[in-house]
Amino acid sequence: MSEKSEKSKKKEKKSALLNRRDFLKIAGVTGAAVLFTEVITSGPLSAEAVQGIGARLHAGEGATDNEWHMIIDLAKCIGCNYCVWACQAVNDVSDDSMRWNVGFPERTENGQDFYMTRPCLHCAEAPCVRVCPVGATWIRPDGIVDMDYDLCIGCRYCQVACPYDARRFNWREVVDDNRYAPTWGSSEVERRARGVVEKCTFCVHRVDRGLAQGLTPGVDPQATPACVNVCPVGARIFGDAKDPDSPFSRYMKENPTFRLREDFGTEPKVHYVRPDRRV
Amino acid sequence: MADVSVGGRRRMSQALLWWLLLLSAFFIAGLVAAVRVLINGLQVTGLGDQVPWGLWITHDLSAIALGAGAFTFSAAVYLFRLERLEPLARPAVFVGFLGYTSAMLALALDIGRPDRFWHPLVYWNVHSVLWEITWCVILYSTVLVLEFVPVLIESRWFDGWTRLRRLSHGMHKLTPFFALFGMALSLLHQSSLGATYGVLSGRAIWFKPSMPIMFILSAVAGGMSLTLLATMITGRLQGRRLVSLDVQREISRFIGYVLLAYLYIKLWDWAATTYYSYNPGIADALARLQVTTPYTLTFWWWEIVLGGVIPAAIMLYPPLRRDSQAVMIGLALIVMAVVVNRWNVTLSGLVVPPEWSPGVLGSVVAVSYFPTGLEVLVSVGILAYALLGFTLGARYLPIYKKRASH
Repeated sequence: MSEKSEKSKKKEKKSALLNRRDFLKIAGVTGAAVLFTEVITSGPLSAEAVQGIGARLHAGEGATDNEWHMIIDLAKCIGCNYCVWACQAVNDVSDDSMRWNVGFPERTENGQDFYMTRPCLHCAEAPCVRVCPVGATWIRPDGIVDMDYDLCIGCRYCQVACPYDARRFNWREVVDDNRYAPTWGSSEVERRARGVVEKCTFCVHRVDRGLAQGLTPGVDPQATPACVNVCPVGARIFGDAKDPDSPFSRYMKENPTFRLREDFGTEPKVHYVRPDRRV
Repeated sequence: MADVSVGGRRRMSQALLWWLLLLSAFFIAGLVAAVRVLINGLQVTGLGDQVPWGLWITHDLSAIALGAGAFTFSAAVYLFRLERLEPLARPAVFVGFLGYTSAMLALALDIGRPDRFWHPLVYWNVHSVLWEITWCVILYSTVLVLEFVPVLIESRWFDGWTRLRRLSHGMHKLTPFFALFGMALSLLHQSSLGATYGVLSGRAIWFKPSMPIMFILSAVAGGMSLTLLATMITGRLQGRRLVSLDVQREISRFIGYVLLAYLYIKLWDWAATTYYSYNPGIADALARLQVTTPYTLTFWWWEIVLGGVIPAAIMLYPPLRRDSQAVMIGLALIVMAVVVNRWNVTLSGLVVPPEWSPGVLGSVVAVSYFPTGLEVLVSVGILAYALLGFTLGARYLPIYKKRASH
């Protein structure tokens, strides 16, 4: 009888008080829940942080007053290659195999010869930006696809992702003299280190410095990409798509243009005028 | 390779000694080549701006896929309580450990800035499938180490360390948790490795949602195959049966079913994207591949026939499944096919780049890629590391010993 009552007492004691095991369990679960909530709400996985990255991927409407676009008029181009060389001089691309801005002879399906040039197209839905595991490349609010060479780990996924072959990898340390400088311009940016990817930047340093000085990119040469300035026939037009009076907007109004491989869904910001437009 | 017992310690047979020496030589050669790569940069490889991924990425993808036996067997034994498969759980984790470390070695050399390997951990781009893979692979490698540590502590070098032994025994209780965590991570990154290619809208023959599914299925089949094959070979060399015939047949049959599922998806993948439909990008890329590269041929013969249909027949036709030699050939074919598949997927998408020029002259037919000697040597060195690790582990670690009952 007494034994029984003692047992029930023990039972009562157990059920009344949390034993250590239960306590630890509850504390552990609560702690984990708090930590989880903390990570979700304020950590790097928080809505704001993730949205912040989203904002870097997609320039929101009205994020800035500008959106930089380029037109390449293939009907005007005479194939002099000046834009290619000016780019190499200004951006210090001394290795010809690493040209950011490429040019080559082409022929239309109707047999008309023309000269094709291609900078980085600065896609609004840039596949290279999406795939970068470290966020070393991003779309600025003004549409320029920019890069941070100090973040790049050299995995080259962006090269694999870019359908336009616009990205170049530094396979070696480039120590050669730049034979395009000073004839075609002088270096305005630092040469990139071995092991990182690089590409055309729409001469972003000129755009930014120009805007800071109150200049208009696309109009004032100091604020305009080197390839646009150097073109002897005005085949390259640069400007702000959000300004209806920019050289870009006016040219777009007057000329039908096309973009390279629209079917990729990349929404490039470089537009082309057909070579047979004014035969 | 019979062992001679002298005074309680096993002496190495002549053949084993030569095998280890050979592997060590390859490993050292690979090490020298790796140093050359680090000093001179990736210009010593056969890669270029149009084919920026090659042999090492194939090595990396294959090693991770073939390490998938670790999560499959761990989940089967510790999560689904299929205790009869337990003899294979440890070798699977060991093979997985060697596979993942091999992959990391290959990757460390393949990236242009090995000094920045930690960047994905600090600088996040959650929209990048490669970022997710990096995290999963690092976390899963940690799980593999945690699963493997008890095996190391059970070895005779730790005989005097009673506290450590008790600790590792306590860790054993966490195994189901590791198995669950490991399975989640593996399902994520094994598929995402396929998504690496599947999400690229600019490359028509890659751009499809079946990519991640085919990668995980081939990894499950290949990973289980390599673990079973390694176990069967070790058993033959050591002259003892490490896995019962029943279990061997059960796993073989399961692998056969996974292969069937893989072939079924492959069939519809082909039928839906080429036979019953027309996509200019795919048609153009496949046409260029067929005219200028051997990839059409290697796909049909090495991947589908030799690596899929024949092994599936071996694993699912009972008279063949009962024949251990036939099973071993089948398993080897599957392992081979996983490697061939990873190479084919990577290279076939890269050597026929999409055409973006609006004219007819600038069209690229096919870019060529061939690994340089140094590239091959590095891969051989990493392979030697894995084989060396397995040989020594199978001999000196309690990987195939029956664990003391609890």
